[in-house]
Amino acid sequence: MVEEESVRVVRCGGSELNFRRAVFSADSKYIFCVSGDFVKVHSTATEECVHILQGHRNLVTGIQLNPNNHLQLYSCSFDGTIKLWDYIDGILIKTFIVGHKLHAIFTLACAEDSVFVIINKEKPDVFQLVSVKLPKSSSQEIEAKELSFVLDYINQSPKCIAFGNEGEYVAAVRDFYLSVYFFKKKTTSRFTLSSSKNKKHAKNNFTCVACHPKEDCIATGHKDGKIRLWRNFDDGKKYTYTCLHWHHDMVMDLAFSVTGTSLLSGGRESVLVEWRDATEKNKEFLPRLGATIEHISVSPAGDLFCTSHSDNKIIIIHRNLEASAVIQGLVKDSSISTGLMIDPRTKALVLNGKPGHLQFYSLQHDKQLYNLDIIQQEYINDYGLIQIELTKAAFGCYGNWLATVEKRQEKETELDLQMKLWMYNKKTQGFVLNTKINMPHEDHITAVCFCNAEKFENPTLVTASKDGHFKVWILTDDSDIYKKAVGWTCDFVGSYHKYQATNCCFSEDGSLLAVSFEEIVTIWDSETWELKCTFCQRAGNIRHLCFGRLTCSKYLLGATENGILCCWNLLSCALEWSAKLNIRVMEPDPHSENIAAISQSSVGSDLFVFKPSEPRPLYIQKNISREEVQWGVFVLRDVPESFTSEAYQWLNRSQFYFLTKSQSLLTFSTKSPEEKLTPTSKQLLAEESLPTTPFYFILGKHREQQDEKTNEALESERVQLPLTENIPAISELLHTPAHVLPSASFLCSKFVNSLLLSKETKSEEIPEDVDMEEEKESDDSDEENDFTEKTQDTNDTDLGEDIIHQLSKSEEKELRKFRKVDYSWLTVL
Amino acid sequence: MAAGGGGVADPLSPAGVPCAFSPLNQAYFALASADGQLRVWETANNRLHQEYVPSAHLSGTCTCLAWAPARLQAKESPQRKKRKSEAIETSNQIDLLALGTAVGSILLYSTVKGELHSKLISGGHDNKVNCIQWHQDNGCLYSCSDDKHIVEWNTQTCKVKCKWKGDNSSVSSLCISPDGKMLLSAGRTIKLWVLETKEIYRHFTGHATPVSSLIFTTIRPPNESQPFDGITGLYFLSGAVHDRLLNVWQVRSENKEKNAVMSFTVTDEPVYIDLTLSENKEEPVKLAVVCRDGQVHLFEHILNGYCKKPLTSNCTIQIATPGKGKKSTPKPIPILAAGFCSDKMSLLLVYGNWFQPIIERVALNSKEPHVCLVRDISNCWAPKVETAITKVRTPVMNSEAKVLVPGLPGHHAAIKPAPPQTEEVESKRRLGENEISIEERLGALDIDTKKEKDDLPQTNSFPVLLTQGLESNDFEMLNKVLQTRNLNLIKRTVLRMPLHAVIPLLQELTKRLQGHPNSAVLMVQWLKCVLTVHASYLSTLPDLVPQLGTLYQLMESRVKTFQKLSHLHGKLILLITQVTASEKTKAMTCPAQKAKLVYEEESSEEESDDEIAEKDSDDNWDGDEEEKESEKDEDVDEENEEEEEDAEEKDEENGEEDRDVASEKELNGDSDLDPENESEEE
Repeated sequence: MVEEESVRVVRCGGSELNFRRAVFSADSKYIFCVSGDFVKVHSTATEECVHILQGHRNLVTGIQLNPNNHLQLYSCSFDGTIKLWDYIDGILIKTFIVGHKLHAIFTLACAEDSVFVIINKEKPDVFQLVSVKLPKSSSQEIEAKELSFVLDYINQSPKCIAFGNEGEYVAAVRDFYLSVYFFKKKTTSRFTLSSSKNKKHAKNNFTCVACHPKEDCIATGHKDGKIRLWRNFDDGKKYTYTCLHWHHDMVMDLAFSVTGTSLLSGGRESVLVEWRDATEKNKEFLPRLGATIEHISVSPAGDLFCTSHSDNKIIIIHRNLEASAVIQGLVKDSSISTGLMIDPRTKALVLNGKPGHLQFYSLQHDKQLYNLDIIQQEYINDYGLIQIELTKAAFGCYGNWLATVEKRQEKETELDLQMKLWMYNKKTQGFVLNTKINMPHEDHITAVCFCNAEKFENPTLVTASKDGHFKVWILTDDSDIYKKAVGWTCDFVGSYHKYQATNCCFSEDGSLLAVSFEEIVTIWDSETWELKCTFCQRAGNIRHLCFGRLTCSKYLLGATENGILCCWNLLSCALEWSAKLNIRVMEPDPHSENIAAISQSSVGSDLFVFKPSEPRPLYIQKNISREEVQWGVFVLRDVPESFTSEAYQWLNRSQFYFLTKSQSLLTFSTKSPEEKLTPTSKQLLAEESLPTTPFYFILGKHREQQDEKTNEALESERVQLPLTENIPAISELLHTPAHVLPSASFLCSKFVNSLLLSKETKSEEIPEDVDMEEEKESDDSDEENDFTEKTQDTNDTDLGEDIIHQLSKSEEKELRKFRKVDYSWLTVL
Repeated sequence: MAAGGGGVADPLSPAGVPCAFSPLNQAYFALASADGQLRVWETANNRLHQEYVPSAHLSGTCTCLAWAPARLQAKESPQRKKRKSEAIETSNQIDLLALGTAVGSILLYSTVKGELHSKLISGGHDNKVNCIQWHQDNGCLYSCSDDKHIVEWNTQTCKVKCKWKGDNSSVSSLCISPDGKMLLSAGRTIKLWVLETKEIYRHFTGHATPVSSLIFTTIRPPNESQPFDGITGLYFLSGAVHDRLLNVWQVRSENKEKNAVMSFTVTDEPVYIDLTLSENKEEPVKLAVVCRDGQVHLFEHILNGYCKKPLTSNCTIQIATPGKGKKSTPKPIPILAAGFCSDKMSLLLVYGNWFQPIIERVALNSKEPHVCLVRDISNCWAPKVETAITKVRTPVMNSEAKVLVPGLPGHHAAIKPAPPQTEEVESKRRLGENEISIEERLGALDIDTKKEKDDLPQTNSFPVLLTQGLESNDFEMLNKVLQTRNLNLIKRTVLRMPLHAVIPLLQELTKRLQGHPNSAVLMVQWLKCVLTVHASYLSTLPDLVPQLGTLYQLMESRVKTFQKLSHLHGKLILLITQVTASEKTKAMTCPAQKAKLVYEEESSEEESDDEIAEKDSDDNWDGDEEEKESEKDEDVDEENEEEEEDAEEKDEENGEEDRDVASEKELNGDSDLDPENESEEE
């Protein structure tokens, strides 16, 4: 049943969330963010992803709410289309084909039928802001070719464009000038700052712009950390500006609050600054946001802000500057040097996270679990600082031990290394530092591995380093009279002709240790640490080394930099086979004999799955990624799959995840796209129906009764609707799916007409009430029939029904009484 | 009967707080605490995911809750196989949570949006809702209440589809059959209803008290030969209030048999039950029962017909605090709920208190009949608001951690002596045997002190203090001696100290050198003195290599930074000291004699042995470390080459040479020690 489906590469771990500003829905319940080819809808209260809007075929570059209907969302993409979505249900409403590569989108309430986009004209670096007229049509796909030019030579980033004062003007910044285009006057004024020639103003470059929502005021951010507030810019000469300076580095983004009373700014300091009343004195800060603030946005309701950060997260912040929720994708670090690991305890994927942290990412739930602070030093967000980096990590002994290596290198000769060994404390359910080793080696550590064989009661760790040694560390008893303790000590130091040690790995049973010294592989006995034998293929340095598993445990595999994959037989100490393959990633499946290798060619990366015992691959998948694949890992499935076809059997028990250079986490799945992308394809099964609250009883009822007389039409409509089921206009409106409906304006007249008819039939107030009752009865009749049938065995069916009936009548009486009382009350008012 | 009353104080209401794991992969754990608040926890990282307070939480506290089946399933109802394969990716689907309240209303709460989704009131219950069950396919909801009725809800329209009287007393529990066509309900007796017609299909005896839980344990009949009508042959399990037996019933084709097929016995009233469905006949049903006393009982049983004797658990899990010190005894931590993970090999345990429970994944190890997990939950009370948002966990870095820096033992592989020769061992033993009696020793000490009193008092008391300190390992006494800065004093003390104290002193110095750099600076002076003065003695020791290996490594690693500079420095010092050394020799003869006096005590009869040992040790050393050097030993002119080697080695090599040369070479030791001093000060 499953085998006919082919294996596809599927994204997981959440793509980049911080590419563009996030957008809030009008009621601040949802937040939208672009994420690769999709738009994600998250709940601001629970951080959960409610929908994924998918349909674009290239990177989504901009999203904006539809100013005319706040339940709709525009998105634009590099694929040249603007799409209109209903985000509540996650439905694509319309597609406008523009044709150009769109870099950003802006909407304005006053420009009803057009949106503004940034496009690229001819030259690669020349961008234009144009307005696109979106034609009205009932069809799903509409060509929108009517472009009118607004501004030229602008920056491609949407942060450098802002519309101000309800769309009276648009401000754009680039390099050293600010240009403002007035829509009414159709003129452009340009203001230039002194450029880089003057040393004092060397970093005057504009970086971002924001416009005051009510006043004629433009705020611009600069590379030197200043914020300038421009006023009177409608006059080319009389313009003034004031400076706000707190940031010491580039201002990354600016945003005015909805009322315009405060200005928000953020930058690399990862501090959100709120400037009240645009004065330098009144500042509020929200510090320690963890990573560079890339974007700031403000909800239309004004109660929430959000900041997008360079480590792939969005923080939702309350008006009083309190972070309330974090939407976190896979944390992107500058480089992933630890590789991908699986924590045997939580089954989570572990890799570099925030600077100095290890992130634990749950693959089952596709969300981040937590960051483990390994370095435990305050990270200073500043450009050019040399930080302590977490370079290696390894889990050992069923997750009871964690080894981490951190390094700091200021100059070539000044290397600072530290290895920490953490023990998992079951009592407190957390890691506790057991041993800290300064300078475990004199040069970079290239590999760290634990011996995970079961027969070894004594945990063993091997580190290989460029200094030509590998060290074996064992856990020893450090107890003295004061405490019982265990600690790690060095047991053995091995080297081979002063070559750099590049890789190390233990065989499955832990009896052998293989260490590669540049081109040579050495095999050591793990009992006595004697050199057993060496293999050398003279085919370049060994890049990856691994032993075969299970039935193939007599094989050792090595991939070299010159593109040769070698398989040695450990029994005969001879080369079994070799293949020409430029392997980037080689990862053995810990639960089967299979080994996955990803090779890199000029076109893309290819996946090969093979068993060491035979030189023929079990499975080949070409072009799994355009980018270079850097790391891979096998993860045991919770529930095994049952692929019968031989090619897919390697996926039965394990799943293979790999990480590309741009740090997107990918995996293989056989499920069809619809199934995989579940959140979009399904909808909430139940309608929302909330009963009236006590508050409603106090206020809503009064109003209803107040309105009753004057607004009978409304009442009648509510009542008559069920009756009008046979009117074609209404049935059409109600039963056609929303996304194939013609535009509302087209349906409106029909609809209103049908309602008018019903109004004529209506006579008086009291009979109408009776009508309502009857309708309800008839409505429920089907169910009630069932009801009576089903409840025959139980004795008192009628009784229950009667109660309902009587209740309703008594209620009616009460209501009438109420009405009279309220009337008097109202007249008094 | 008496079950109608409702309220919290009702003795016949089930113990425990309504809680449930989310379906599919147990990503969330929902818990409605007694204060009426609903909290949803993430099981993977034990983080509070959301909190919700119903508007009427004080009057209508939550009495039961149930997660809706995953959304996709509800919509399309795919085949069972497909659903299983979905299990890994469909995490976001879990959404709706149905809450039954004490006043009879049912709330549908959306965990994705974090808000109330809808409220089912009209035509529903007018008393406490006891149990809610979602239909797995069609999105219907079944609830039962103290008002004796069972209600079928349509969650799409939020209206009552059907309401019928389920029992003569309150209905306390419900369960829907695996095929979705039947419904089990129970007050005290258990009834099986056909959902389509709402007719009773079977009666079961039930329990003496209200049934608190009902679960189907199999989805397929035990013998597959018969045609399967969806219900016949299936087993289900029931647990009741105040009942320590869980009964297993089988739905039979004939309506005669009303008694339980078998039963499981537990230690207290069951509070939470979870089980893994067996897929085939051979696979046993795994059952986890959380009892009111906070224990979890695990059963593993292949359901196959009658069993008269109640089965006891295969494994019992308890959790307790570590119990610090002698005073506080370990206290049990109650387990609140337990759920099987989707791999069926591990169990999610929820323990602690209701307000801040801890969720832990425990791998199942059914071999042991009784497992007690020791957990320290004292620090879990700390507010975790910060970490809830940043999701940063800080592992503990306390001072107890071992720190290894280059030079400390353990940082580098220890220098192992060559396999010891028997002769050496013997000689060592003899040394031990021939220890002087205390009386003798006291006498010797007395003589010493008397003698020393004649000399400068300060200098004289120092060696005594030092030896005593070393023997008794008295930290303060040693501090008094070792923390002196007076170079002359150090020299004199070292000269006068008994030879047997040299090795302990060196070891003490090594220990102190590994400590704080400030104190290490002083120790370097001592070390320098000891090595220069007692080089000849050291070279006679047979087991020098293992004894001073750590010191050697320490020195080597410390001088590494400026290796060339230190060599140059060493050469210069050598030149200078050679000049001065010849002058000093005369002055040094006098203290040397004194040293001899002390030496006599133990070496009187050992001379011959020592000589042999010396040679042996030399050979060993060379064999171990420096094969090239073997021939050069006798050359007297090699000083300049040799200084690149470490101090001990030279001392060794020079051991057998005459006094003058030795003293010169001893000074070579300085060359390596001084740079060490430099490096430390940096």
